[in-house]
Amino acid sequence: MTGTALSLSELPSALAGKFPGKVTPVPGRKDMLAALKVLPEAIVPVSQFLRDQGTFEHCALVSGVDWIDRIEVLYHLWSDEYKGYLELSVDLPADEPHVASVTPVWSGANWHERETWDMLGVRFDGHPDLRRVLMPEGYRFHPLRKSFELREPEELEVKARHV
Amino acid sequence: MSEMWINMGPQHPMTHGLWNLRIKVDGELIVDADPEIGYLHRGIEKICEYRRYNEVITLMDRTCYVAGIAWEQLYIMAAEGALGITPPARAEYIRVLSQELQRLSSHIIWYAAYVQDIGLMTPFLYGMRDRDLVLDLFQSYTGARMTYEYMRVGGVRNDVPVGFTDRCRKVMDWLDGKLVEYEKVCDNSTIFLDRTIGVGILKAKEAIQDGITGPVLRAANVARDIRRDRPYSAYPEIDFDVAIHDGADCYGRYRVRMEEMKQSVRIVRQVLDWLDRNPGPVLAEKVPRFVGTPSPPPGKEIYVERRGYPKGRGFSSMEEPHGEAMAYIINEGAEHPYRAKLRSPVFVNIAAAKDYLIGYRISDIPAIMGSVDVCLGEADR
Repeated sequence: MTGTALSLSELPSALAGKFPGKVTPVPGRKDMLAALKVLPEAIVPVSQFLRDQGTFEHCALVSGVDWIDRIEVLYHLWSDEYKGYLELSVDLPADEPHVASVTPVWSGANWHERETWDMLGVRFDGHPDLRRVLMPEGYRFHPLRKSFELREPEELEVKARHV
Repeated sequence: MSEMWINMGPQHPMTHGLWNLRIKVDGELIVDADPEIGYLHRGIEKICEYRRYNEVITLMDRTCYVAGIAWEQLYIMAAEGALGITPPARAEYIRVLSQELQRLSSHIIWYAAYVQDIGLMTPFLYGMRDRDLVLDLFQSYTGARMTYEYMRVGGVRNDVPVGFTDRCRKVMDWLDGKLVEYEKVCDNSTIFLDRTIGVGILKAKEAIQDGITGPVLRAANVARDIRRDRPYSAYPEIDFDVAIHDGADCYGRYRVRMEEMKQSVRIVRQVLDWLDRNPGPVLAEKVPRFVGTPSPPPGKEIYVERRGYPKGRGFSSMEEPHGEAMAYIINEGAEHPYRAKLRSPVFVNIAAAKDYLIGYRISDIPAIMGSVDVCLGEADR
């Protein structure tokens, strides 16, 4: 950890000062310390700032939601200092969504990003090893997209995972 | 010597479930590792989007087959958050009781399987014997040993039966003695100590960076426990200690789980005393009808049209026997979630396999991966 930890009340203003116009709070989330909407281009610097100055050293979860007109990627961070979760969300266009990877910031995000790619087709630029993790290689769909109907025949063309 | 890749799995006695650990070895030395999972993927998150809240409880049991009730509660807590429902106090205490009994049964089966992997055969039988006593308790109030289908949105299905608390106390008294015996068997065995002390070291800084949680993290001397740090259910009123160890090795993980079992017995006793003193309802009154009603017969779909329920996002996190589990539910006003996301601690703990394994030898793999306590049902979902 570099620098001294900020208190929780200082965090929003520090973020707004460091990243003007790139971070907006989302009101009404009682189960989180705070929920922030971040512009896609700022996600890595904001993550780095939160890890180093904000003590959010544990990236608990990276996941995604398909809103049909857009894809929302959610990051849940835990801080041992504040004993609570912080939610970051990034809105991406629905066709060919991609965002910078936070795996260089928290290596624990590695498989979560792989799963989000696998399930929702979000590309994480700069990810060291962006392969499918749950579905087999060669699978043609991203099953958690709303366009993927549960009962539709899949016409599987699955290659062996490794020979 | 030239390096080569070896597949350990998907069918391998070390894996305890269906997954494949690919390791790159230089002779006996592990130089790289690449775990592969997905063999048990059932698309639970997708199925949740098509089912009403109570209809997936039975699926949550199958998420993790040794800690089913933890996943039931995880999902139900997130659903309650999304729908804005508060369960009554007695239900919360019964939930805590269920969680701790589940932790006991999960840790005991971990102990039984792990110690057998290491090379001690007798404790396996001790563990299986005592785990069944805990499962009998589950059976007496949920009706099932492993797939309970007991939690409900707004509470639990039924109260504990008459005489349950006394029966449960007897099992806890029995376990008090047996947990000491478990430790004696291991701590006096040079085989066990040689194979676990200083093996599979994952230090605190690395573990936090890798997103490791649960007993593996606490064995690296990080006192993070969601039950204490962000208490849910009735945990704010419960008195217990967070077990930690500074070894950061396989032995440390064993010590942490042993201590956690003792703490679980302590928590169960507190809950039983509370349950004896406080009768009351176990299910909230104002639960929306659609949450609990069964699927309509074909042609009667009119009953499942949108009820205009408030939109919301529900989030829950809890200390499952393997670590930090999270559920995230987005409700868009329909009777099933728009999106349900589950975070499995084992998924992340397996992902870091490289960091536990590199630098050790092939014969250390069962000891190291066993100490992580993998349950593939929940990693693959």
